[in-house]
Amino acid sequence: MALLEIHGLIKDFGGLRANDDISITMERGELVGLIGPNGAGKTTLFNCVSGLHPVTSGRVMFDGQDITDLKAHEVARLGLARTFQVYVASGDLNVEENVMVGCFMRTRSPSRARARANEILKDLNLHDLSEFRVSELTVAAQKRVTMATALGSDPKLLLLDEVAAGLNPSEIEEIMADIRHVHEDMGVTVMLIEHVMELVMKVSDRVIVLDSGKKIAEGDPETIVEDPRVIKAYLGERYVREHGGDIG
Amino acid sequence: METIKNALDFSDSPRIDLTIAGLVALFLLVFPIFPHSAFAMATMIQFLMFSLYGMGWNTIGGYGGQVDLGKAQYVGIGAYTTAVMLIRWDVPFWISMPIGMCFAVIWSFIIGYPLFRLKGHYFAIATIATTLVLKDIFEVWDFVGAARGLEISPIKYIPPDFLRLIFKQDVYYYYVILGFFFLGILYVNWFRRSRLGFQLRSIKDNEDVAQSLGINVHWAKVKTYAIATAFVSLVGSFHACYIKNIEPEDTMSLDLSILIALMAMLGGAGSLWGPIIGAGILIPCKSYLKEWLGAQVGLVGIDLIIYAGIIMVISAFEPRGIWGIVEKVRRRKRS
Ligand SMILES: Nc1ncnc2c1ncn2[C@@H]1O[C@H](COP(=O)(O)OP(=O)(O)O)[C@@H](O)[C@H]1O
Ligand SMILES: [Mg+2]
Repeated sequence: MALLEIHGLIKDFGGLRANDDISITMERGELVGLIGPNGAGKTTLFNCVSGLHPVTSGRVMFDGQDITDLKAHEVARLGLARTFQVYVASGDLNVEENVMVGCFMRTRSPSRARARANEILKDLNLHDLSEFRVSELTVAAQKRVTMATALGSDPKLLLLDEVAAGLNPSEIEEIMADIRHVHEDMGVTVMLIEHVMELVMKVSDRVIVLDSGKKIAEGDPETIVEDPRVIKAYLGERYVREHGGDIG
Repeated sequence: METIKNALDFSDSPRIDLTIAGLVALFLLVFPIFPHSAFAMATMIQFLMFSLYGMGWNTIGGYGGQVDLGKAQYVGIGAYTTAVMLIRWDVPFWISMPIGMCFAVIWSFIIGYPLFRLKGHYFAIATIATTLVLKDIFEVWDFVGAARGLEISPIKYIPPDFLRLIFKQDVYYYYVILGFFFLGILYVNWFRRSRLGFQLRSIKDNEDVAQSLGINVHWAKVKTYAIATAFVSLVGSFHACYIKNIEPEDTMSLDLSILIALMAMLGGAGSLWGPIIGAGILIPCKSYLKEWLGAQVGLVGIDLIIYAGIIMVISAFEPRGIWGIVEKVRRRKRS
């Protein structure tokens, strides 16, 4: 049984079809990259799957259960966690406390939540930052804190929305190492949105490409980078005409 | 067990805060021993009552960020429950107070459940509206004395009556409310680090994120609103025994609702000490202003103008109130 199955998902905002008949299946233990140009509908897909937006039509199954009509907090409690593209983390709380909010999903006890938060912070090498307010951190550290917070709920599936956006190359290396660690050592299934293609290609087992709300390609990274439809979506018609289809 | 330990654990406050808090607590404990005027005593009791109102407001309004301008309706429910039960059936305070709390909490669910579907300013306005409606009902409801209100006649009882909370000397009232005041601090100290306390701060920050962390945002707000209500209703019950004369106009007025919110915001919404600091500043000002204005005809209402001024200053300069300034200065010193 697949961990996540999206069947024919459609999402309309008024006249705009942000997700158009998208079907995706994810097996346990996979790391799937979801790419596509800005406005392709990637974030919208996350919002629909995580229960934040009602879908226009289609079904979403998670861990053998139909979650299409569940509320966001109910979906989260089933073990589907996510981060947000723009949101960083609560400025009111320090790093440890932020992660504790995630941990409180599985326990009522503040001391147990604190202990779990510290485990995760150690695991992601964020332990030195525990006492800082999130607003005092670099963007890269903030993004890693949001990831730690999502992990606090011990999810089965983690949806990451552009965690590497706006970071410099060495920071990207760091966060990629985190993602690999979460995936390989913690055993969490991960779906990763990035609009920087190279990055996703390096870590993903499989890549899905969205463009204008539609799924236009799916496959292993090597095939995807050579797919003319993908290149066209990313670089525009003219580039493809001038260079033929062969860009590595 | 962990609950009690956490309620008593103030270790995350800097030592200087704890020293000041300890000195203030000591002062509050010994204050009645020293010579004081009846006016000073009355002001101190008001300060303690309003601190408790503010602590209650602070749970939902401060930690939860849901601006609530309708707390007076729960003062009224507590006060009226205690007064009616005492006058009609001679029910002691210690029984009528928890019953009043239950009524208030039930009413808070009836109101909170639909109101928390609203956001921001709509919520604030809706809390004002429900208070006005409740006040109107009480003003025409004969069973509770309608607009005349109710009077607890002290002659019927033999003070000091600890069961009914009927005393001749204010010092008894002082120590009763001081006890609640300390319990209130312990409760909030536990609450702010409880699961619900953390969830509220997450909600205040971003509701979508809160939901995606498994928090039932609507239910968390309704629950906290009920907690805030219980605080306020308790003090309302106390108010009935202390003042002995209650009317819809003074227990359920918009002025009272605003004053409760304002005090907590001035001192520092979302902080442990904020509401107490706010009450410590505003209540003496209010009392002396009233005394002074008593002689000056035509200046009635000036306190409202002053409140409006304070609201503007807070929202313009430091939304986190006086405590926000303290924390800012501290952080600057540290870095
Ligand atoms: N809440 C919303 N209301 C209306 N339109 C939206 C909303 N969210 C996204 N859209 C639109 O849906 C399209 C897809 O957006 P989005 O999913 O954010 O793209 P991506 O994450 O791939 O960059 C865009 O045209 C965007 O303007
Ligand atoms: Mg996006």
